[in-house]
Amino acid sequence: MENTIPRRVYDFLKEFPPFNLLDRDLLMRISERILVQYRQSGEIIFRQGDPPNTHIYIVREGAVHLLWEKDGEPVLVEECDEGDVFGIRPLLAEENYALTAKVVEESLIYAINVEGFKEVLEKNPKVAFYLASTFASGIGENYRRQGKPMLFLDQDKMADVSFPLVEVQSLEKSKDPVTCLPDTFIREAAVIMSQREVGSVIIVDEASHPLGIVTDKDLRSKVATGQVGLEKPVAEIMSSPVITVGPHITVADVQIEMVKNRINHLCITEDGTSASPVIGVLSEHDLMVVQGNNPALLIREIRRCRNGKELRHIRERAEDLMKKYIYQEVAIAFISTVMSEVNDELITQSIKLSQAEMDEEGRQRPSAGFCWLALGSEGRQEQLLRTDQDNALIFEDVPEVDYEPTKNYYLQLAEKVTRLLNEVGYDFCPGDMMASNPSWCLSLEEWKAQFSTWIFEPSPKAVMYCTIFFDYRPIYGMEELATALTGHIFENIGGQAIFLGFLAKDALQNPPPLTFFRNFVVENGGEHKDEFDIKARAMMPLADAARVLILDAKVGKINNTFRRFEKLAELEPIHKELYEQAADAYEILMRYRALQGLKNKNSGRYFKPSELSKMERVNLRNCFQPIKELQSLLTLRYQLAYLR
Amino acid sequence: MIFDWVAKLLGPIPDYPEFWRQYLDSFDGTLGKRTPIEEINFVVFDTETTGLDARKDRILSIGAVKVKNWQIDLGQRLDCYVQQSYTPIGETIEVHGILPGVNNENNIDEIEAVQHFVGYCHNSVLVGHHVAFDVSMVNQVLKGMIGQRLANHRLDTAALAVRVSEKKGYEQPGTYGLDTLCRKYKISMSDRHTAAGDAFITAVLLMKLLARLKKRGVKTLGGLLRSPSF
Repeated sequence: MENTIPRRVYDFLKEFPPFNLLDRDLLMRISERILVQYRQSGEIIFRQGDPPNTHIYIVREGAVHLLWEKDGEPVLVEECDEGDVFGIRPLLAEENYALTAKVVEESLIYAINVEGFKEVLEKNPKVAFYLASTFASGIGENYRRQGKPMLFLDQDKMADVSFPLVEVQSLEKSKDPVTCLPDTFIREAAVIMSQREVGSVIIVDEASHPLGIVTDKDLRSKVATGQVGLEKPVAEIMSSPVITVGPHITVADVQIEMVKNRINHLCITEDGTSASPVIGVLSEHDLMVVQGNNPALLIREIRRCRNGKELRHIRERAEDLMKKYIYQEVAIAFISTVMSEVNDELITQSIKLSQAEMDEEGRQRPSAGFCWLALGSEGRQEQLLRTDQDNALIFEDVPEVDYEPTKNYYLQLAEKVTRLLNEVGYDFCPGDMMASNPSWCLSLEEWKAQFSTWIFEPSPKAVMYCTIFFDYRPIYGMEELATALTGHIFENIGGQAIFLGFLAKDALQNPPPLTFFRNFVVENGGEHKDEFDIKARAMMPLADAARVLILDAKVGKINNTFRRFEKLAELEPIHKELYEQAADAYEILMRYRALQGLKNKNSGRYFKPSELSKMERVNLRNCFQPIKELQSLLTLRYQLAYLR
Repeated sequence: MIFDWVAKLLGPIPDYPEFWRQYLDSFDGTLGKRTPIEEINFVVFDTETTGLDARKDRILSIGAVKVKNWQIDLGQRLDCYVQQSYTPIGETIEVHGILPGVNNENNIDEIEAVQHFVGYCHNSVLVGHHVAFDVSMVNQVLKGMIGQRLANHRLDTAALAVRVSEKKGYEQPGTYGLDTLCRKYKISMSDRHTAAGDAFITAVLLMKLLARLKKRGVKTLGGLLRSPSF
């Protein structure tokens, strides 16, 4: 039998991913069994929610739309034309179709029955990596990197993306509404508004029943223009009556009320009428925050928080936002930037609140300034879910007489901050790597000495500290203190090859993630028996390797592991491919950890391999490949065979 | 006389070789005028020959694919080259690029090729571009072999195309040639002039023509066969 027709199919397929990644023989075998389907406009190839059939589809000519059907309304997710592959992920991941494929013009579709070589496709590391990376990276990135992405997700995950119009979540937050009496001077009201950082104040009578509202806009249009004097009562400029609603109202209701009345604020009262006490205020801004699609607003909200409970509430909303990003397959680089911003702001606000508290207690702020450092994963800007806190504090060098009071002040401050962060949901560090520990609340001079000790007298314990402390990042206060410390470290490391050797050796300490038979290594006993430790087995080896290499390259200020690898790829073109793979792998691992954490409502560190889908297991295994290669690179570069 | 009829009814005439008996058996009455297009087994085929005279020219290769329910399964294709000791005519070599007499281990003789083909088709509807010629080429071989000819329904894509176009009056010569139709229906013309390549192209053309006829209410084999012969 000759192969004229399949050869033509082969020539076509080999131009497009993932087929271009297959070896010749396999692709030829696939080509010999292809089904050439003629499809007319309007035909449905598969429907959202259907179990996958045994075919992968590729458009030979014509066009197919992938639609996400939500409440019977189809939303166009992707348009496939010549060479575009669809229906591949559900098949390999053994999941139902997340989208509907609808033919929109007369088309020829190649349908590939994978029965028989599904295994081969899955096991092909290049294909799995292709699928994993299209899964892991954002859409924009994908278009640039390797053609169109495949937006095939679990169905239930897609469903989660649409946020239901539930009861207004921020009601709780505005339960303490800003109010004043009608005879309050406009000047006073303005002071109250700016102090409480709100855009409106409700004017109430003695019984707390609402009479009217004064907003920023009223101040601008009626007072700033000189129309009404600052010493007049607010009653003169308030809008009245105020529109009131009851406490059990949905986002949709609020939107309707606002549009109907052309207003930006609603007053919540106990019974929904103006004849009952005010219990809250809803602004358009609150609505946007509830809808949860704006990290900038979340960050602004953090600045208005007055206690740990409020901060915790925001952090939970940030997690909802992250969940949405994760399920929408937004690039991890973006997600981690947003979450770091939120974390940083939470820490900053905790510090500010604690300082204010100490001011109130009558504690004099020392003349020496300080810098708050985040360590570990937050230092690396990789903390998506809340984990233990790791932090430290540097204060400016002071004359000896001032040392004790300064240190005392900062220890007390750190004590308050860490307690507040604990309330927000960041557990205390079990190893006490916190600024409230006298060993980690030091002057710049002391810190320099500490790092010198670690560098010049490396011991296993010192190296352990290094892996945590070297990822420090200034969060609040005098950044120049951190910069000075970094300079000191690079100066010292220069002459200390042995130190990097120790650090590199430590990077090899983590046990390999797979057994000889390519099964996941699970914990033998304890609380996490039979669970896989994604942090220790897969992420730390990559983070550790990145740290050694970046320290060696004397690059400061890049703390993020995948950004470190990206930088390394730039610096060492010979290992470009490996570093890029490592960066990709780390992103994928972060995503898995976040997904598992969201699913199991924990930090995502431990999970049972059996709970992963087959494709997820294959993807994960492929992420481990660069670990092995990096470890041999470290061994070679730092001649670790001798050190052992 | 009556006994012949009974014998015919009871079973195939034992003198025929196995492949032909199986072929005759395949006409079991399941395919009829009311069979919907979706259920028809089509065999779209093409032969490359030494010339255009069925009586003296010989088959160089046969290519065929099966079409059913708007789908071509490449796993079930026929693509064979025939070993001929025939002196070629220069022109055909140029067209097909097949050099007769060159010993290729994949090549089989003409009889074997036709047996393959008959076994491949069974009672399917035979489709080709100017299918009458290709059928007569096969029949020529069958006639010499066992004195039989193909009994299948046939569809000519050229004739279907005429029916689809609905043009009346004078048309340029070549309007219904395969090349012209491929351009008209935007069919990629790779491997034109190999039997298998042409069969595949014709199969795609068939599906596109069938879809257009179906829109006009042609839904069964009966409706298709009403097309004018060409």
